[in-house]
Amino acid sequence: MSLKEVLKEEPHTGYMLANEAIVRAALEADVKVAAFYPGSPQTEILDTFERVSHYRDDIVVEIAANEKVALETAAGAAFVGLRGFTSMKSVGGNVASDTLYSLAYTGVKGGLVVVIADDPYAHSSQSEQDGRWFGYTAYLPMLEPSNPQEAYEMVKKAFELSEKYGSVVLVRTTTRVNHQSGLVKVGKLERTPFDKLSWKENRRSYATVGSLARKFKAELLEKIAKMKEDPEFLALNRVEYFDGKEAKEVKPEEAKGIGVITSGVSYSYVLESLQKLGGEAYVLKLGVLNPIPEKLIGDFIEGLDKVVVVEELFPYIEGFVRQIAKERNPNLEIIGKKSGHFLEMLEYNVPIVIKVLAEVLGRELPFDYEGHFKRMWELAKLAPPRMPTFCAGCPHRATFWALRRAMGRPENYYLANDIGCYSMLALEHIGWTDSLLAMGASLGIAHGVQHSAQERVVALVGDSTFFHAALPGIVNAIRNNSKMTLIILDNAVTAMTGQQAHPGSPKKVNPYEKRIDIESVLRGLGVEKIVVIDSFQARKNIGKLREALKYDGLSVVISRGDCALYHFREYRRAGGKIVPYFVDKEACERAYNCIRDFGCPAIVIDETDLKAKILPEVCVGCGVCSQLCPHNAIHSTAILYGGEDKPYVTIEDYRELEQIMLRRGGQ
Amino acid sequence: MNVIYCGVGGQGIVLMSNIVGEACARKGIHVVSGELHGLSQRSGSVIVHQRIGEGLSPLIPYGEADVILALEPMEALRYIYFLKPGGTVITNTRLIHHPYETENFVKGKIDKYITYEEIVENIRKSGAKLYEIDALKLAEEAGTALAQNVVLVGALTALPDFPIDKETMLEAVKASVPEKAVEANVRAFELGYKAVKELL
Ligand SMILES: Cc1ncc(C[n+]2csc(CCOP(=O)(O)OP(=O)(O)O)c2C)c(N)n1
Ligand code: SF4
Ligand code: SF4
Repeated sequence: MSLKEVLKEEPHTGYMLANEAIVRAALEADVKVAAFYPGSPQTEILDTFERVSHYRDDIVVEIAANEKVALETAAGAAFVGLRGFTSMKSVGGNVASDTLYSLAYTGVKGGLVVVIADDPYAHSSQSEQDGRWFGYTAYLPMLEPSNPQEAYEMVKKAFELSEKYGSVVLVRTTTRVNHQSGLVKVGKLERTPFDKLSWKENRRSYATVGSLARKFKAELLEKIAKMKEDPEFLALNRVEYFDGKEAKEVKPEEAKGIGVITSGVSYSYVLESLQKLGGEAYVLKLGVLNPIPEKLIGDFIEGLDKVVVVEELFPYIEGFVRQIAKERNPNLEIIGKKSGHFLEMLEYNVPIVIKVLAEVLGRELPFDYEGHFKRMWELAKLAPPRMPTFCAGCPHRATFWALRRAMGRPENYYLANDIGCYSMLALEHIGWTDSLLAMGASLGIAHGVQHSAQERVVALVGDSTFFHAALPGIVNAIRNNSKMTLIILDNAVTAMTGQQAHPGSPKKVNPYEKRIDIESVLRGLGVEKIVVIDSFQARKNIGKLREALKYDGLSVVISRGDCALYHFREYRRAGGKIVPYFVDKEACERAYNCIRDFGCPAIVIDETDLKAKILPEVCVGCGVCSQLCPHNAIHSTAILYGGEDKPYVTIEDYRELEQIMLRRGGQ
Repeated sequence: MNVIYCGVGGQGIVLMSNIVGEACARKGIHVVSGELHGLSQRSGSVIVHQRIGEGLSPLIPYGEADVILALEPMEALRYIYFLKPGGTVITNTRLIHHPYETENFVKGKIDKYITYEEIVENIRKSGAKLYEIDALKLAEEAGTALAQNVVLVGALTALPDFPIDKETMLEAVKASVPEKAVEANVRAFELGYKAVKELL
């Protein structure tokens, strides 16, 4: 990943992540206002924009409270006539969609491009939601690139099309496109200075309701019908003939025999599979997902005997193909999900696609992918699972350890989890969560559960989620006298996505940002029982949490402790030295309290004596484990020097300290 | 050449593929990489696919990787199904135990940690050519334990079939690491390079 490649003004070819190529494209398109909320797989777009904004003063970059506000910020700029940009993950689209559907009606003046990044396989999402329906159901144009170069080109093109039609243009990506790197050829970066425009000179109405909405709707239908015929849109689709070695562009009417229709990353699986099979086929690669180029598809399938539709998730394209085939080629054999050849879930790869293509083309598989996988898996499964887990020094781990103790029997509670690093509680190796749905959902769910279940309800919410979507749920809980305990995990940043700033964060993107204090917000709203704890004082927190759990009404615990990744990155940058902890082997009685229900990656078992051992290169010195030890066997290495002012420096020092410690223990 | 880079979140796996990608850009060699950022980074398993010279899709098909370059041995084994029959595995020799494994240990579900020998035995059983590198030792020798990933990039460069020359790779290393760490990383690269040359 390189910011250099994004900022270099001359045209060049550089190794870029698609997310970086997207930023470069938007910059070349002279985008002026860009606002985001982080979420995988599009977060690097935000991160790159943020870094770009430190080098250029001709752009406004903000992290918004949520995706809806981000979209509205970019739309406001586009209303006035400046170019706006935002991107969001699949489920972020749900949050923004209320505004998005109206924006389709009102249209825009300046170009407005919105990237929606889906996550087939749900690598880092709550669902495998298919964002292609946003384009279709909102009557908005939607493009889909298949690699970083196309992502760059399509985003640039999207700005032009947006202004040509006065319409938002959506660009749909998937994880395997966003997180794909390759050589990207970019143009010259020429930007204009940031000048505000006169609203008076640009004024027009963006109000949609009732009769105004009906007028907009009629225009919208006209616009989308025009786009269907527009050569500029059509040029984003391509028909190719693959002769067994190479693909060359042909006319859709030339297609005969076997055809493939595909888009996005699946296109690369199709081409690679055809190469391996040495198979001949016609390929229609769609770059436009809405409006679907029906005539083009019709021309393409008219002369075919069979068509294979290769797309991840929903049979979206397949549905159109089936519809069009009824008229243009009723005898066409359509191979896709409805025929049982492809799954409607998970992501694809070459072995999945090549299997179907080999069958259709009547060719031998070049390699027994499945057999090889199965044989090797027998060997591979020896490797113990390695799920994501809380970092060394994570404040959440300490809070949850104390919460478990405060509850005594966690099974006597309902735990409504939410979205953030704390979601990892729900993963199978910990498995402590009753529900986890969407950002901010813990509050509303908890409220319904407290009406219905006998057990006390505990809701968890992170600080970023607090501002993003939890506030209405909190207001509702206060208003309706909800009897529950809300725990706010205030770790200073939006940690899970890479420690970005949020409205309550000390971290800032722009100097004008204000920090909003969660406790004051809650007091202002009228919460009567607020308990503030230091996440890292785990043992002391047990009593405070118990008190909050017992409270007959809504109690809120704010657990404050910086995200370790964020904190120690800043700390190291400022020249700070980490002071790790160590286990005094003389005192350790193998009680393992520092391991059980805690799970710091820095603590392992020393197999020579079965005592606990702390890995100095992993430990960040948060000190929580020392509070858990009933034998007082865990201490800061600082004590070995007789003071905090002489911290440990290297691993060698630490090994030496271990020796000193062992000798001392013998006294 | 198809390369799988893998290890544990936080070890700097994406930097390895970025260095090679940067070198490809300098040489005008086709390259496509498939990465995963996000959830997998919290001490989880991380894998990057890279297609150098040929290969269109961002994911290497099972059984087609020429090399697995692993910063952690269990991760090399975990992804062994990507390796082509008789392919090469270059692995760091130090195991990183997941807290879950440690927790199972104290709960009596297992009576010992998995050992390096057990892991390596299965890697060998797959038919792979194996090169073992103590990357931590070499990185510390070079001046920073953080450069274990660059040690392995040096090791990769030393393979006879690796399509990019050493000088270009060194330039790419220099361009990819923080300025003040350039010297240590160049040393780390050289040590990794030498280590594999000696094993060839
Ligand atoms: C609507 C929506 N937007 C974005 C995301 C991506 N996302 C997943 S975790 C997370 C971080 C939430 O931050 P916070 O609540 O502060 O928890 P932390 O990770 O800091 O513990 C985000 C933004 C999402 N899942 N849903
Ligand atoms: S990133 Fe921060 S909040 Fe998330 S697990 Fe790591 S330390 Fe905890
Ligand atoms: S002090 Fe203890 S709990 Fe904190 S990081 Fe070090 S080993 Fe882990």
